[in-house]
Amino acid sequence: MKLVLLIFIYKLVMPVLLKIVGVRIRNKGAYHGQKQFIVVANHNSHVDTMALLSSLPIRLLIKTHPVATATYFGKKKWLAFISNLFVNTVLIKQKDNALQLLEQKLKKGHSLVFFPEGTRGKPGEMQAFRSGIGVLLKAFPHIPFIPVWIEGTGKILPKGSFLPVPFEAEVKIGAATLAKGVSVEEIVVEVQTAILALRGRE
Amino acid sequence: MQYFKDMTEIQQMILVILGVLVFATTLFWVWKKMKPGPQVDELMTRTKSWWIMAGIFTTAAVVHPAISFIAFGLLSFAALREIASISKNARLEDRSIIFWAYLAVPLQYGFAYMGWFVPFLILIPVGMFTFIPFLLVLKGHTQDIARSMSVIPTHLMLTVFSISHLAYLLSLPELPHFNAGGRGLLLFVVFLTEMNDVFQFTWGKLLGRHKIIEKISPNKTWEGFIGGLLSTIVAAYLLRFLTPFTTIQALGSGLLIACMGFVGDIIVSAIKRDFGLKDTGTAIKGHGGILDRIDSLALSAPFFFYYVYLICY
Repeated sequence: MKLVLLIFIYKLVMPVLLKIVGVRIRNKGAYHGQKQFIVVANHNSHVDTMALLSSLPIRLLIKTHPVATATYFGKKKWLAFISNLFVNTVLIKQKDNALQLLEQKLKKGHSLVFFPEGTRGKPGEMQAFRSGIGVLLKAFPHIPFIPVWIEGTGKILPKGSFLPVPFEAEVKIGAATLAKGVSVEEIVVEVQTAILALRGRE
Repeated sequence: MQYFKDMTEIQQMILVILGVLVFATTLFWVWKKMKPGPQVDELMTRTKSWWIMAGIFTTAAVVHPAISFIAFGLLSFAALREIASISKNARLEDRSIIFWAYLAVPLQYGFAYMGWFVPFLILIPVGMFTFIPFLLVLKGHTQDIARSMSVIPTHLMLTVFSISHLAYLLSLPELPHFNAGGRGLLLFVVFLTEMNDVFQFTWGKLLGRHKIIEKISPNKTWEGFIGGLLSTIVAAYLLRFLTPFTTIQALGSGLLIACMGFVGDIIVSAIKRDFGLKDTGTAIKGHGGILDRIDSLALSAPFFFYYVYLICY
């Protein structure tokens, strides 16, 4: 049931909306042959999550969860329910064992969409990455991360706004990579470098 | 040959365009095989968009005229979205005002479809020219507000007002003894504007020596411009059966289209240069692509429209 809903939203409605709004997704082929991964992207807008979910192949849609903060989406019960139903999110509290839920999902063979900045920044600005992504990739060294550079969505729907306005934006998907770093900090830097490297690339 | 003569002007023209397109596509394909380079690629993307235009035009002629209005509306929308995205002149807080600017697209093309001439004429230069600054004032940020006030209506003029005149050609009333009608005029102006670009390019390649404005458009030469102008005038003479013009008027329309196509082209080039899209390194590929397609039409369309309107209607 949820699968049908997700396919309807992200494979039928969302591609049309994204096309009208002006979001172009590059290199969807990066998912080819991948079974489990963590998509890591810079974050400026709710449009990012929508675009990344609709970039996924159908077979991976139900098994891929955008990670969202419970402090924002878990404030009200109905909001948490709706974001799980329509966006397939997993909510985490930014406290002690926050990553436990994510580890459970990964152990089940599911994938994640992760925004290491933790929150949406100002349009066109990338904030410092938090360490969570490093902890996860260190704990699951066999799961690759897929770096994604997103540009322009902050103008479409920035933080604090509820009115989407059409502007051209680009979502560039990079190649799946296994983290090489040993420490958490090294992995965080590695992920950040991989995302920034996509910036100038066609 | 008899069969060709029995066809309507529009059918003959569609056949001619198909012939030209097939010829151009084959020529560029062979050229790319022999000597690949960025110039052939540019010509090939151009040909691709001509195929799309010709396809839409033919479909609209066969199925329903409303298709043309929707297609031109989408073109205006995409061009407006592009220029709003690459412009560094509008402020971030202008985004909600730009949302209202998009509203001009369905309104303008709605007026064109209904044939409501005065609303069509005043919506942007009078209506939006007032509405946008008013909304900006209500927002209350006065820092750089004058720039936003002038930039947003200018974007609308360049992308919506101008191109919508192509659509309005289809809503012009019937004239006695003029069978091709609005569709003929539309074909005439689009075909000649595009051909003028090609003529200018070709003559410039063959004879080009003296640059016109090197800082803006280094490939534009006097030889190319004049060669293109003369060729376009000849083409206008040959295609005058699509228009209600006398011979002199047809020659004049060729002159007008060639000149305004050139002016539109360099104005858009200058804008793109200002946005840093012409300098290598800063260019984002694919950006500026739609503006490149409409640059010469942006001025030739309204100028041709009022030329034919004042002379014949």
